[in-house]
Amino acid sequence: MSAVVPIMTVVIVLQLTLVKTPPAVIGQFLVGAVFVFVGLFFFLYGVNLGLLPMGHLIGTELPTKGSIVFFVLVSFILGVAVTVADPDVMVLANQVATVSDGEISRLVLILVVACGMGFFVAVAMLRIVLGVPIQYLLAGGYGLLLILALFAPPSYIPISFDSGAVATGPLIVPFVLSLGLGTASVLQGRSPLKDGFGLMGLASLGPILAVMLLGVIYA
Amino acid sequence: MSDIKVFAGLGRTAMEVLQALIPLIIALLLTPRFIELPQGFLSKTLKGLLFTFIGLTLLLHGINVGFFPVGQLMGEIIGSQDNRWIAIPIGALLGFVAAIAEPGLRVLGSQVEEASSGAVRQNVILYTVAIGVGVIVGLGMARIIYGIPLLYIVIPGYVLLIILLRFTESSFSAIAFDSGAVVTGPMVVTFILSLGVGIATAMENRDPVTDGFGTIALVALAPILSVMLLGQIYKNKD
Repeated sequence: MSAVVPIMTVVIVLQLTLVKTPPAVIGQFLVGAVFVFVGLFFFLYGVNLGLLPMGHLIGTELPTKGSIVFFVLVSFILGVAVTVADPDVMVLANQVATVSDGEISRLVLILVVACGMGFFVAVAMLRIVLGVPIQYLLAGGYGLLLILALFAPPSYIPISFDSGAVATGPLIVPFVLSLGLGTASVLQGRSPLKDGFGLMGLASLGPILAVMLLGVIYA
Repeated sequence: MSDIKVFAGLGRTAMEVLQALIPLIIALLLTPRFIELPQGFLSKTLKGLLFTFIGLTLLLHGINVGFFPVGQLMGEIIGSQDNRWIAIPIGALLGFVAAIAEPGLRVLGSQVEEASSGAVRQNVILYTVAIGVGVIVGLGMARIIYGIPLLYIVIPGYVLLIILLRFTESSFSAIAFDSGAVVTGPMVVTFILSLGVGIATAMENRDPVTDGFGTIALVALAPILSVMLLGQIYKNKD
């Protein structure tokens, strides 16, 4: 309720005062707002019932099963799997195919972005286990980003930032967040608040760096 | 009024959501091989995934049919007016309310509230991020209207980010970067992008693609800064 009402109010007030759009467009907006309203309700209910407990359970069990290699490997696979299937990544793949004049095929891009995501999910999960301060990883990641931005062709820069946003879709967020919180909650000396967050922030760097790297290699 | 779209495109959105859910469903079905699941966990989680599927499909459909066209048209109307500066407060206001409606941000907020045992409320995160988005979308609109290069905002932003990172507790830094990643979800991206593209289309000498997308790069930066600033307030409270 509190989510959609503010945006509806602002659009309607603007409609009545400063920005008068045709009635058909406002009708269309109201139809859309009803869908968003109902959809958000079901989405949040479903996430609390499904994705959050599932991510949390996998996150809590993963460090107790077998070796650290298994832990890192499963984290990587989960990161890759959720990204490969995301429809937004397909859209991005088409954009990149266009800027690179077809030199970078869609398949290559999808694999590179997914591996970038998987790599950083694995790094972020490993960080929780080893207790590495998040600042070091963020500073390192953003430093690398700045260096790559200097060498990557200009046409790749906006797309690479886009790919970071793409890889943090509404299904990936609850799952990956709760994965980290789950792991941080079972390990001794770790707390969910202090160590459990940062997974999405780090993970979104993966695709950005991966696409820039592609640009540097292909240039 | 006869050409209002209600269900057109709903099937395609549903297929896209289903496709994105498949690896998660596979992961869920594989977990019993490695983990002993609590009684009733599998059926409850599958039910949750079903509701997530229905909810996300409706949500994305609503954004496609309702928010995208109105955002673009509002942008075009504002961009063709004499008093273009009006886009700055309007952009700020729309950025603020769009962030409040972003689904992933609510999930992040609720997780922060839970992990902090209620010390940091969901709404505090939500409004802190929304204020950041509002301010930066206002700046983004000013950039499009007056033709300010993107780097003039991005570089000071990142410098501020690095400075704040030194003074912020690791928990708030982590939440801040998560917020930045999460806020660029379907609602904010679609609505703000369409607004920026609309304004750039209505103005001469503007490239809708470059100017529109640049605003999204800014939106990802804003909550990182505002949540780290929030961290300073909580530090002083202790």
